[in-house]
Amino acid sequence: MRVHVVEDDAGVSDSLALILRNIGHSVVSHRDAESLFKGPLPEAGDAVIVDLSLPGISGAHLVRWLLNLAAPPRVVVITGQSQGFIDHQLRGLVPDGVMRKPLDVDAIAGVLPAP
Amino acid sequence: MKDFAPPAEALRPPTVSEARLLSVLDTAADGIIVIDEHARILIFNKACETMFGLSAAEAVGQNVKLVMPTQYARDHDAYVGSYISTGVKKIIGIGREVQGLHADGTVFPLELSVGEAATPDGRQFIGILRDLRPRKESEQRLADLQSELVHLARVSAIDEMGAAIAHELNQPLTALMLYLQAIRRAHSRGVDIVTVLGDILDKAAGEAERAGHIIQRMRQFVEKRDPERHVRPLDPLIDEAIDLTLLGQRHRIRIDRQPGVDLPPVSVDPVQIQQIVVNLVRNAIEAAAGVADPAIRIRTRASESSVVLEVQDNGPGIAPEALPKLFEAFASSKRRGMGLGLAISRTIAQNHGGDLLVDPGGNGSGACFSLVLPAAAMPDEVG
Repeated sequence: MRVHVVEDDAGVSDSLALILRNIGHSVVSHRDAESLFKGPLPEAGDAVIVDLSLPGISGAHLVRWLLNLAAPPRVVVITGQSQGFIDHQLRGLVPDGVMRKPLDVDAIAGVLPAP
Repeated sequence: MKDFAPPAEALRPPTVSEARLLSVLDTAADGIIVIDEHARILIFNKACETMFGLSAAEAVGQNVKLVMPTQYARDHDAYVGSYISTGVKKIIGIGREVQGLHADGTVFPLELSVGEAATPDGRQFIGILRDLRPRKESEQRLADLQSELVHLARVSAIDEMGAAIAHELNQPLTALMLYLQAIRRAHSRGVDIVTVLGDILDKAAGEAERAGHIIQRMRQFVEKRDPERHVRPLDPLIDEAIDLTLLGQRHRIRIDRQPGVDLPPVSVDPVQIQQIVVNLVRNAIEAAAGVADPAIRIRTRASESSVVLEVQDNGPGIAPEALPKLFEAFASSKRRGMGLGLAISRTIAQNHGGDLLVDPGGNGSGACFSLVLPAAAMPDEVG
């Protein structure tokens, strides 16, 4: 079981990986959707944490793609944007969790599969 | 009447034309002083009495230096002497701004025009004086109002960028909190993190610093200060302003930055110039937002005795019907904002002796705005 973190902000990505490893997860960090696609695809037991504002392929696109996989992983959206922006981006998409930044790690851990 | 007549003739009643002249002098709103070749005051009208706080009786017969501050007084005899001997006109028929001295010691700005008359009693000089304080005050008031408006537009720009800046601040705060939560977690579970603790704390401090920088940059931009002038290279100012504009932008725009080579410095109010750059870059981002591969080219170059900044977008260009009102205040076609941006930007540019020009583009090319600023002549001339 792996947790993929797709986040372009180096500080957020690093601190999130640190605390998730701390909890016991195996973490793979990607700075954009494109680099996630280059590696092995997330499996059903995995989780993908997606920042909604990504450079290149947008976070919402990635979420849609992940949720449409035959065996989708758990998908958790993280964002610092306004509720209006989130609603607009996620029209019709229902990820397993949507977390507003600053993040509460217990809330994220609650949505992820047990390590 | 005795106020105006030279002392020697004080007892002689005035002729009809003299009486008429005296009444005209008294009615004039401007100060009028007539002096002889030796700079002795012959006539000192009512307006002068108010202007200088001296009665005509006190002034007439005295050297005109009486109403001049020391600096002018020292040179005045020489000026008169030089004109009489050489005939070279420094002020006669020209008029200029000089300073007057009130009886209470106040030095104040005056507009002075001087005429000359040849009379049977010798050459006389007629000075017409206007107190410039009311005009200076209204000029100052206008400048103050304009500076308020420029500041208001800057605050408004930051206000419009508020959501983006909040997002930008959220990133370091998020990272900072996660680092702290990681430490807290390890601590409460008795996990030994001594080996990595220093590293985590350094990173946490780095994130707090990053948040601080964002706030500092914003604060510098919105803080209210008096207009100032500094001789500066233009490119670093522009780069800072671009950074500020791109805070929290959602990435998908390509910025092609082409700094100039060997640009002369400019004498500017740095924050006001950055205000123009923020405005132009924000507009360009907005204009290009609808195209497939949005891009902006920001170029600086020297042109004769000027430095030019060009901000070119690859949007649809400016509609011909929008062009005439483009630089007018409150004529914005946008839903948000006050529509002050371009009007204020052009005012700032012109206050700097430059201008803000536009090539509207269209037919497949985007708009290009050019900020033209005069190159500073001598780096140490203005401080």
